[in-house]
Amino acid sequence: PSKMPETVDPMIRAHILSLCSALGGTSTVEDGGYSLGDEALACLKDLKKWLKLYDQKMNRFDVARCMAEANLVKGDLLEILGAWEEDEIEDRMKQRLALGCVELLVPLTWPFERYNEQTTINHHRHIPVLQFAQASYKKAILQHPSKRILSNIVRVALPSIELPPDERTERDEGIIKLAIYFFRNLVMIEHPMITETDTGEEISRSATIEVLEDQNVLHFLLMLASEMGNEFNTQDVVVMEVIYHLVKSVDIEKMFLTDEQEAQKQGQDLTALLKLEDEMKRTSIRGASTRHNRFGTTVWIERDDKTRSFVSGQGALLGKSTGLDKMDSSKKWKKPGGADSKGVSRKTEHDMSLTLERRAKTKLREFVEDFLDACFNPLFSHLRRAIDRDAQRLVEANQQQYFYLIAWFLKAERIRRKTQTSTEDPASADLESFGLVASVLNQESLITLNRRMTEWFDTKQWTPLQSAMRCFTQILLTVQDMAVSPLEDDQEIAENIQNRLFYEEVTLDLVVMILRAYTRQPFGWLDDCTEMVHVHLKMLERFSKQHDHMFIRSRKRARAQRKKNATPGEDAAGDVPEEGDEEDEEMAELSRATMKERAFDYSRFEQKFLTPSCVNTFLAFIGNYKELNYSQMKRAITFFHRVFVKRGQEVLLFRIDIVELFNRILQGPEGLPSSHPARKEMDQFFKHYMRRLVKMLEKRPELYVELLFTKVNSTMHYLQFGYDKEVKVSK
Amino acid sequence: KDAKKDNLGLDEEVKIKKKRINVKLDEARLLREDIGIPKLRREAPKRLKFKGKGHEYRDAARLLSYYQLWADDLYKKAKFRDTLQIIEKLGHSRRMKMERENWIMESKKKTSGDTQEKD
Repeated sequence: PSKMPETVDPMIRAHILSLCSALGGTSTVEDGGYSLGDEALACLKDLKKWLKLYDQKMNRFDVARCMAEANLVKGDLLEILGAWEEDEIEDRMKQRLALGCVELLVPLTWPFERYNEQTTINHHRHIPVLQFAQASYKKAILQHPSKRILSNIVRVALPSIELPPDERTERDEGIIKLAIYFFRNLVMIEHPMITETDTGEEISRSATIEVLEDQNVLHFLLMLASEMGNEFNTQDVVVMEVIYHLVKSVDIEKMFLTDEQEAQKQGQDLTALLKLEDEMKRTSIRGASTRHNRFGTTVWIERDDKTRSFVSGQGALLGKSTGLDKMDSSKKWKKPGGADSKGVSRKTEHDMSLTLERRAKTKLREFVEDFLDACFNPLFSHLRRAIDRDAQRLVEANQQQYFYLIAWFLKAERIRRKTQTSTEDPASADLESFGLVASVLNQESLITLNRRMTEWFDTKQWTPLQSAMRCFTQILLTVQDMAVSPLEDDQEIAENIQNRLFYEEVTLDLVVMILRAYTRQPFGWLDDCTEMVHVHLKMLERFSKQHDHMFIRSRKRARAQRKKNATPGEDAAGDVPEEGDEEDEEMAELSRATMKERAFDYSRFEQKFLTPSCVNTFLAFIGNYKELNYSQMKRAITFFHRVFVKRGQEVLLFRIDIVELFNRILQGPEGLPSSHPARKEMDQFFKHYMRRLVKMLEKRPELYVELLFTKVNSTMHYLQFGYDKEVKVSK
Repeated sequence: KDAKKDNLGLDEEVKIKKKRINVKLDEARLLREDIGIPKLRREAPKRLKFKGKGHEYRDAARLLSYYQLWADDLYKKAKFRDTLQIIEKLGHSRRMKMERENWIMESKKKTSGDTQEKD
């Protein structure tokens, strides 16, 4: 026998193996079927104890590893679960055995936490192996020939579910939770390392969705979610988690395409991609040498002061700019970028996109539509209350998932409505109100969202903030759709919501501050952030135009207020002893008192976007032009147009790096392809920009230096207008 | 004996090689009369002529190639975009801000002087 390296204490391995073999095994009599050991139930209980009292208590994975080695899941547990026939519902023994199996499966499939302070060498030794083991568990569960592993697990929980909530014992609640946790674990398991020979397709999202729907688990989830707050109470978070891991990263727009549309779209996409490739090939040929690679051409670029730079290669002959490009690309030095120690630029789950296979897509779509019809309001309003209460059962990641899901389903609802109105005859289509998603549009939800956004912004938790931004954008877009709904009720509600959304100045300022806070977050973050700003600004502008007398609640400047209060306060100084604690309280009260309503001035608000940091965020966004679609490009161009043309803050954009970027987008060898739909707008803007820049350079030659820098406030006005700002003397 | 000594090299003076100094793009270099911003101020308005409307792309190319060659002279080893980034960052320092304001003040005086003369 080969000598195995001792990864686990041999005594423990011996114990686990003997328990596993005592559990049961392949029978020699009945066609090789599975036959239970005499004390099977006791064995299951012992194994459970081992997991709990050894692994969990001592923070190890030894027992789990032994169980993986013993092929416990596939060899025993699934056999026992699969043997529970549909006509044996009343068989108490089989039900007990099935429950015993689930009690083992849940800890065995439990997701591993990221490595943290509690990680030991033991974890590093076992987790990589166990991840592969979990993937094989999932595969075995999904592909089990009995095709009823999952439905049998639902059946384990059914007797407890049937009881009315007040009659359920703690044990019943536990069993229900166990079943849901099992599904959460199952959906969460992903293949740890995908290779050419092992693609992980058997356990992909598509495969999971298909099996879940075949074995009625999706219905089970819908039933739980729709009765949340009624029949069920504490299960809300786990149900949400299952749904989160089920729908995360799924491309919603693709999901709502019919097969015909999708086939058509795929064709179009392919044509577009081939065209793009063709164009790329042509541009690369244009720059390439027409002769062999040792032809040896040297070109010099002479400057006005007769100094020369030498460039080699035929391509350099083509023109001055290609020569300069070549000169640049031959430089090897790289500007050190600085370490990203906080991992701000690391991609997250929010940056992924997933396309489903056709059959799974239809099934998930049905699930989503049913969810919107029956479960959206009960589940999310129940969860919102739990979040507000800071309920114990919530962990930090749950809030992020909550906002992510709301954003996801709101978008799904909007796209569903769009496809409905476009396919059906508008006259005959029965118009539904937005009541189906109303629970996230009420005042309490908006407050919760706002509070979390502020909190995450203050503590620089960018990924949760991203989910909240997405949620906010989708709420805005939903309200926008509501405002143009033919139903009068909807319009009125939309009006109300907008009133509330735009009432607090703090909220408005938060949007600007987030935009300014961009540093090196991944592209997805940037996309979500700029979209939120774009949608928010546009809606606010329209709304403030429609309402002559729009009021917002703003905080007066605390300092000015304090000064005012200081003078009359002195008279009363004798009465109030000055103490630190009281001062704080006083301040808090003061700030509450200083909230006041004032008329809203849109242009003053827009002014806040006219800063270098806002411009830089949008520049970083448009820097990804190769990946941007029309509406994303348009979003960036609109912002620049707002700054440059609408507000006339031209100097803010007069920077040589901006000229370089815009020129590269339009003229560079890797620029925007000529077929890109946004090219025309970009071209118009750039031409206008260059005309203005040239005029300005001729008028004010000091701009040649200032082109290199972001402008200083003190000189910006002079550069723009040629005279200093009149200083207003306040009376 | 001498040969032995030589082999060991004990009597030879130990030469400490100086580490090559890496050229750095800093304020001092950026403000150098011959290659820095002063050169840009002196020459750019004279050398650059634009055609204006209808020739936007050509104007942009001209502007960019001028700056690129200037940047190349200023700091050989870095690519154009990197050089621009370094310069932009340097512009935030107190000294550079003062210099920048001074340059603007100078031309402000000049233009106001011109107008006064005209008057």
